[in-house]
Parts: sequence; structure tokens; C-alpha cells
Amino acid sequence: MSQIISLDNLKRLLDAKIADGATVVAPVQDGDFVSFKAIDKAENATLQPRAAMQNSIKEFFFPKHETLFSFVRQGNDVQLLDAPDFEKEQIVVGARPCDAAALEILDPLFAWDYQDRFFQERRKQTTVVAFACTVCDAHCFCTAVGGAPDNTKGADALLYQTEDGSFEVKTLTEKGEKLFAGQLTDGSANLKPLATPNGAIKTEEVASWIKDNFTSPVWEKVSLRCVGCGACAFVCPTCHCFDIVDEGSYSKGKRVKNWDSCQEAMFTLHASGHNPRATQGARQRQRLTHKFVTYPQKFGFYLCTGCGSCSRSCGASFGVRPCLEALEQNATQK
Amino acid sequence: MENELRNAIRELLTQKQVDVVIGYGKVGVDGAIGALFITDPSEVDAMVWNDECRQNLAVHLTRPEVKALGKAAIVVKPCDARAIVVLANEAQIDRDNLVVISAPCTGVKKADASGHKTDELEKKCLSCVEHVPQNVDVVVGATDAAQALDAQNQEVAQNRSAGHQTRLAELRAKSPEERFDFWKKEFDRCIRCYACRQNCPLCYCRRCVADKNRPVRIDSSASLKGNFAWNILRAFHLAGRCIGCGACANACPAGIELDLLNLTLANAAQDQFGYVSGKTLGEAPLIGTYDTTDKEEFIR
Repeated sequence: MSQIISLDNLKRLLDAKIADGATVVAPVQDGDFVSFKAIDKAENATLQPRAAMQNSIKEFFFPKHETLFSFVRQGNDVQLLDAPDFEKEQIVVGARPCDAAALEILDPLFAWDYQDRFFQERRKQTTVVAFACTVCDAHCFCTAVGGAPDNTKGADALLYQTEDGSFEVKTLTEKGEKLFAGQLTDGSANLKPLATPNGAIKTEEVASWIKDNFTSPVWEKVSLRCVGCGACAFVCPTCHCFDIVDEGSYSKGKRVKNWDSCQEAMFTLHASGHNPRATQGARQRQRLTHKFVTYPQKFGFYLCTGCGSCSRSCGASFGVRPCLEALEQNATQK
Repeated sequence: MENELRNAIRELLTQKQVDVVIGYGKVGVDGAIGALFITDPSEVDAMVWNDECRQNLAVHLTRPEVKALGKAAIVVKPCDARAIVVLANEAQIDRDNLVVISAPCTGVKKADASGHKTDELEKKCLSCVEHVPQNVDVVVGATDAAQALDAQNQEVAQNRSAGHQTRLAELRAKSPEERFDFWKKEFDRCIRCYACRQNCPLCYCRRCVADKNRPVRIDSSASLKGNFAWNILRAFHLAGRCIGCGACANACPAGIELDLLNLTLANAAQDQFGYVSGKTLGEAPLIGTYDTTDKEEFIR
């Protein structure tokens, strides 16, 4: 016996949560794109599995721009104001399993030397409902980095689409159980077949090659076409670098946290003018090393869920998959 | 045409006339096309020329990593060749030390979200009258079909009644408030990845104004204020310079119609000063010159 929710009842549930004051985030079609957005009503969401997303759910935990605190100066007095209220119930529905998995990968990072209350609080307040993938494209490679089309990592519930457009619901955590309590009916489900992404990449071999080949000229060669923007990092569900800057004037301002990317030359530019990562090859090496060597060494996970968003978004037809494939040729050469 | 192109490139490399050729190849996922850098004549067969060659490769000419490879030849679409003219006119490249190769073009097709070719032509191709290469050193392939397309598009180009010009006209027909709302919605999606800048052949500043932090010129935040400042400032810096290749809009991961901002200013340059950027080699930049007969009615 399976636990089923119809598409209509799922929409009703989301509308009820919106009415209760929760923020509900779901995939929304806008022109040629589908992106995760906060919705006013469930009718506006496109509630079905999808591979190509314009953004990841990362921004609902770690926004592209957020205020840490602000200040007002009056005479000799300085008043400090805390960050605007960000502690609010949130439901993210329709996440790809590769989006949800990223959250669990990032948990130890945001609770390591510094406890990032912004990320941690949003994690606590948010219920993540993922859709098992019934579709994929050539950019997908989750199975090469330990994922799967029905990976449960990071999700509170995983929904399998049935042939008649309903969902079989697997609740995974207390939060997931609470969300779907009283909403499910027993039934037998005829599930749509899961997607079969091409994960034929020898990730472990490549990771080991990366570890031992810091000075290889291959880095410059494979990275030549990269023009050094931050698109890959910003659409990535796991990239988490940020920059802290002060904005405003002498009398009034705020300290803000903004996304940053190691692919931009400015990222490591010293005040002296020296740049330790002077070329795009050095920057690309940093990106891949962090994802496949440093992060696994420190936290035990690849910093990549194989979602393919980087290569889909790249104006130069680059990204993690093409880079891993190019490096694989060197890694497997004896 | 592809084979003729490969032969021309092979010859340049074999004769050691150039050290590297920047062209198109199936370098990405599922054969997605991007820049291919070839230094060895035996690798030339990997170069392609088809209706998926969307990127403007001229962006690579000013990159230090590419300059380090030595004397270059570059493959460009006829429309993109204008970027090289601007780079030469603005003294950013030594035109005599570069071989520009092109072939007649019949338009490039849009890609879907997964990068697959669709049946639809890119917006800019619908009113293109530059299917035949100009200001290049080597032209390969027969120009008949391209010439026919140029003739066919003359009228829509003149009337600005197709492709991105239609899209711009639709937008300009709205009230200022509606237009402001449109851009607010567009810029709200901007993530400040600078894909527009990095993919633009004419955004070659070594230190962009957006990266200046002593003092900060524009907010680096992806707030609405910061995003308006960045996108409008970038359009201003391309006024009278943008050649309309659409590389910015094509590269934008948020799908912002940046080409429309630049097109507005390109139209203004043409209407006010009769200036079309990148048409004439040796011409002084519009912003760097003045004429006592210049119109002034746009100053309000």
C-alpha cells in the first residue's frame, strides 16, 4: 500500500500553508525559464519533476544578498539594528533531489568555526519536499557523485509522480510527516519510471588526479574557454562563497553579505595588485579542487551534486561536467 | 563550407603564419558549441561552423591567457566581426597582428534550457543585413545565400520591424511606469555574476567600475538598487560602442533581455549621429569625437 496525494490536494495543502503565513517556494514558469520562486497561490507553480532549472533552492537558505545588521548615526550616538526578521516558516516544494542534497552538504560548513544563524535558522524553519526525477538531460550526472534520481538526502519528503499525475509520498523526517499529516490516502500507485542520468564519469580517479596535479599545464589548457564570470558558482546549489561589504553613508548604512565566486579575477586580488590566482586555469583548478578534494577531506562530501546547472548556464559551454571529462582523459592515461 | 574553413585554418597553422586559431568546436555537454583553441594542424578537424555557433569569440582577443598563446587567427560570424573593428578602433588589439576568418552566415538558432538547438532563429538574425563578412582577412564559402538573406531583410532592418527591434518597440510603446516595472522585474533576477560583462567582447576594462572598491562606485549587492546601477551603467559604457551581438543576453543565466538596453542606445547613436558601431575600420569612436553639426535635441 502506498501513501498518495493528488495534484489538486497538494495544491490545496500549499494554499493552506500560504494562508497560514508560511512562505511557499515552488518552480514557476516564466517565459522560456522555470525558476524557484515564492508563490502567492499554488496554481502559479509548475508542480512536476524537471531537470533544467534557472536557479537552485540555495537562495532560500543563503540569499544572493542579505543584510547582517544596519546602523544609524545621530551626533555621537550610533544605533545598531539587528537583521530584518528572517525566522519564518518556509516550505520548498518541487526541489530536485540534487538541490535538496546540497543542503545537507552545506550544513557542516555553516556550523563549523562560525555558527551561521542565518543559514541554520532557515534550515530549521524550512520543510523541503523533493520530487524524484522522472526526467533528466545530458548535463545531469548525480549518479557520478553519489546521488540518484530518488536521492533522499536533505529532503523532508520525497514525492514520486504517478502515471495519472498524483504523487506517492515518502516522508523522511518529522517535518515531512507533520506537513503531510492527514493529507494522504492509501492506494496503489503506478509510478512513472525514474530518470536514468548518464553518470559515466570516473569521479574518484579524477579527484585523485586533481590532488596530485596542482602544477599540471592541463589546467590552463582545459580552462582556456572560460571567460571568468560567476554564473556557474551562483547557479550551483553547493557553491557558498560570499563577500561582506558595508553599504550606505556616514550617517546611515548596513553590513551586507553577497554571493561571491572564485572564477572572478577580483576574488583573490590583493591590495598590492598581486593576484595569487592570476589566470583562469588557476581559478578553475581552485573550483575543482575545492569541490572534489578539499571539501571531501574536510567534511566528507563532494561539493557537487551533479545537477548540471553550471554547464546549462555557461555562456562558454563549460562547467563541472565538461571539466571533469577533460580531466578524466589525463587521469586515466598511464 | 566547414571543410573550406578547416583547410584555410590548417594552412595558416602549417605555414606558421599564426600560433593559435580561435574557432568553434563541440566542446561542451552533448556537443554544445564553444570556443576551441587550436595550435596543431592535426587538430583542425575538430573545428565546426554551423547554426549553433552563438558565442561571439572576439571576447577572447583581449584575455591575457589567450594573448599568451602568441599570434592568433580567429573565426567569427560576419555580425561578430564588427566587435573586432571596434577593438581595433579603440586601440585594444593590433589588427595587423591578427588574422580574421569568416564565412557567409545564414543565421544561428536559439537553444532551449538544456542547450539543444530549437527551430527558431535568434532574435537579432531576423533583421540582420550582415550575412556577408566585411572587414575580415579571409572569407571562405559562397556568398549567394547570404547575399539573398541580406536583400530579403533590407526592409525590416530599415523599418526596425523584426526580431529584437520589434521587441524593443513593444517595450517602448508602454508607459514609463510600465517600462520601469518591466525592468524592475528583470533586474530583480540579476545575480551579479557578470556573465554579461565577461562574455562581452567590448567590456575589456582590466578593472571594471563595478569592481572598484576604494571607494565603491556602485553597490556590489544584488539588491534592486545595485542591480539597476550595474545594468544601466554597463549599457551607458557601451553607448555608441555595442555592436548588438547579443552575447550579454545569451550568456545571462537569469535570462534578462540585456540586448534591449544596448539596442536602445545603438538606435540613438544611429538616429542622432548616423553612427553604426564597428562598420568602418579606422573610424574614430563616437564618444571620442564631436562635430559642430551634431544634433542637440536629445539634450533635455
